[in-house]
Amino acid sequence: MLKATAYLFLKHSTHRAIPTRYLTAAAELQQDERLQSFRTQEADPSKHSKDHLAQFYTIPLSDRNVLFQHGGLPKTFQQHIKTFNETCLMVREPAVDIINCLKSIDYDKPAVRFVLYGKNGTGKSISLAHVLHYAFKNKFLIVHVPWVGDFMRHCKDSSNSETREGFIDLNINAAAWLLHFRTQNAELLKNPDLKISRDIQWTKRESTAKDSSILELIEHGINRMRFASDCVNILAEEIKLLSNAGICKTLVAIDGFNEFFYPTTKVYTEKKEIVHPNKITLTEGFLNLTKFDWKNAAVIVTVDEMTVKVHEEGTDPSMSHFPRFLLGKHGFEHLDPFLPVNVPLFSKKEHESIMDYFRERRWVRPYPGQDEELYFLSGGNPFTLLDYCKSL
Amino acid sequence: MINLSKRLPFRGIEKQLTVAYSSAPKEQHDEFKALNLYKVKGAETPRRIPRKTPVFAPRTTQMAVDQDWGSVWPGPRSFHPASVPLPVRQGFTEKGAPIPDKYANAELMKIPNFLHLTPPVIKRQCEALKKFCTPWPAALDSAEKIQQHFPLEITSSDYCHSSPSIRDPMARIVTLRFKLSSLHLESRAKDKFLRLVGDKYVKDTDTVTIVTDRCPLRKQNLDYAMYLLTALYHESKKVEPWEELKSEADMETYIWENNASKQAVEKIFSVAAEQVPNIEQYSQAVTDYMNEGENDYTISKYGLSVRDLLNLPQPIN
Repeated sequence: MLKATAYLFLKHSTHRAIPTRYLTAAAELQQDERLQSFRTQEADPSKHSKDHLAQFYTIPLSDRNVLFQHGGLPKTFQQHIKTFNETCLMVREPAVDIINCLKSIDYDKPAVRFVLYGKNGTGKSISLAHVLHYAFKNKFLIVHVPWVGDFMRHCKDSSNSETREGFIDLNINAAAWLLHFRTQNAELLKNPDLKISRDIQWTKRESTAKDSSILELIEHGINRMRFASDCVNILAEEIKLLSNAGICKTLVAIDGFNEFFYPTTKVYTEKKEIVHPNKITLTEGFLNLTKFDWKNAAVIVTVDEMTVKVHEEGTDPSMSHFPRFLLGKHGFEHLDPFLPVNVPLFSKKEHESIMDYFRERRWVRPYPGQDEELYFLSGGNPFTLLDYCKSL
Repeated sequence: MINLSKRLPFRGIEKQLTVAYSSAPKEQHDEFKALNLYKVKGAETPRRIPRKTPVFAPRTTQMAVDQDWGSVWPGPRSFHPASVPLPVRQGFTEKGAPIPDKYANAELMKIPNFLHLTPPVIKRQCEALKKFCTPWPAALDSAEKIQQHFPLEITSSDYCHSSPSIRDPMARIVTLRFKLSSLHLESRAKDKFLRLVGDKYVKDTDTVTIVTDRCPLRKQNLDYAMYLLTALYHESKKVEPWEELKSEADMETYIWENNASKQAVEKIFSVAAEQVPNIEQYSQAVTDYMNEGENDYTISKYGLSVRDLLNLPQPIN
């Protein structure tokens, strides 16, 4: 009886299994062919190399929710994430180059600074996101400012600093950033070695004791918003100390860094005077982190034309996307020697790859000569290409 | 027809009246002519017969084949068709039409000609001038030697006219030209010199050109040019107290040694800048980046030098 049942079961199962297997194999073959062209299964950014250029890789949802929960990806890209139901980044030369450098840096030497530059819409922020994912996977402590413009131009509120004369605090923004920092580094912050080095006396009654964890400091900043800005600065100092001591490895990533040096902001004092960025408390902490005087760290910043364009009336003929122009003299001297990394326009290969991706996602309907036409129209600019693809 | 016949008598009256008025003065004076408003027939003045000037055949028809051309055309002169025995043509025409010939041809008269400077004439003039010349110094056999021993080049022009005055105002102008390198100035003095001379310096040829024309005589202008040269030289060598105040912001070019870049590198490597490996390449790249302006070339050169300086891997492509 048992034997018979087993036979029957076997027969039944093989009967069912054969066609299914054939089908799957066939489907896989087809899938593979397409995957080879524009997708890569290599989801670990540290393994990305020259061979993966112009291919798409997917950031797992779990990683994305931690890394970019409170911003970090451009708005249009976020819309695409929602539309395509996946977070796919193209492996591009600048990010791979930086990752390659990060792998071979001697972390006992002073921090190396990278500057991503490129024309508007070429994908500086996306490249930064790619590097962030690498840092996340490799257990870096991530100090990430999603967009400095949020502090300087779209600040939620401002108030005079209580601790320092003539300085302006951006309390809500600072607290939001602390929350972002805590979310991104939730895992690492559980490490009990991350302690603060000194007593901090906030007011007569409030204080944070020496050797209490960094997390406590952050919590205090988030809960007591009055101290958020100062908390960011203290946190920056503490991170530097911890990195110097070798307790953690830090990656500082700041998008739109040149805004820290651009004299015109939309932060105003009570007398409606424009506040210079170096009179904003937050600036100090982040500039402190981008100095070279610490080790076990790497700094990646982007410089963006958008900062200047928003303020200037019309288009300035001297306008340039190069770092020296955007950073200004002080900014350049602050970062020098830095490694400039150009984020180029799409190459032909990259363009075909992204068009394949759009077609696979049913975002555009194919027609003959589509790739050439769109490449010509967009001039290889990714952002312009997205714009043209909206209606296709 | 009816209208016309009606008007006829009026016309007759009109004419009579006119005659009466015009012939009012009875006595005739020789010096006064009668005012003859409407043409009235009188004695006709005899018409002057225009004198005919004889038109000769062009001179070229009588020229001998072996004539001395230098005597026919001794000096600069605008083109004259009858004097030039050449069938030259010049000018624009409609398509298909022949080019205008030399007679009454304004185009030929407009352009300067060198008919007075034919090779035999030049040769003759040189022969005539030879007795006033001295032999060229044998030691000055190359342009470099001339430049080295005679750094100043003074140019002025003499003018020769067939006009009543032998003076030409342009003869007073003196041009002094020399190479800046022949002054042997150090960099600060050179900078000051260039600021003083302004656009009189041409960078490509390293030449300073001083033109003086403010004095009435050539000698005075020459003296003034030499005075200017002396003054410029000594002024540029002088260091005024306010020149010491020149700070980094006043520098016209980026000098790496004076800048924050050097200090940063020294801090990073905590040794003197000269001992840092690959530092020349880096300092040169920063200097070019600042002085030549930002472009893809200078920035990539800067990037590569930073990679070498900080020991980073080369770009992947």
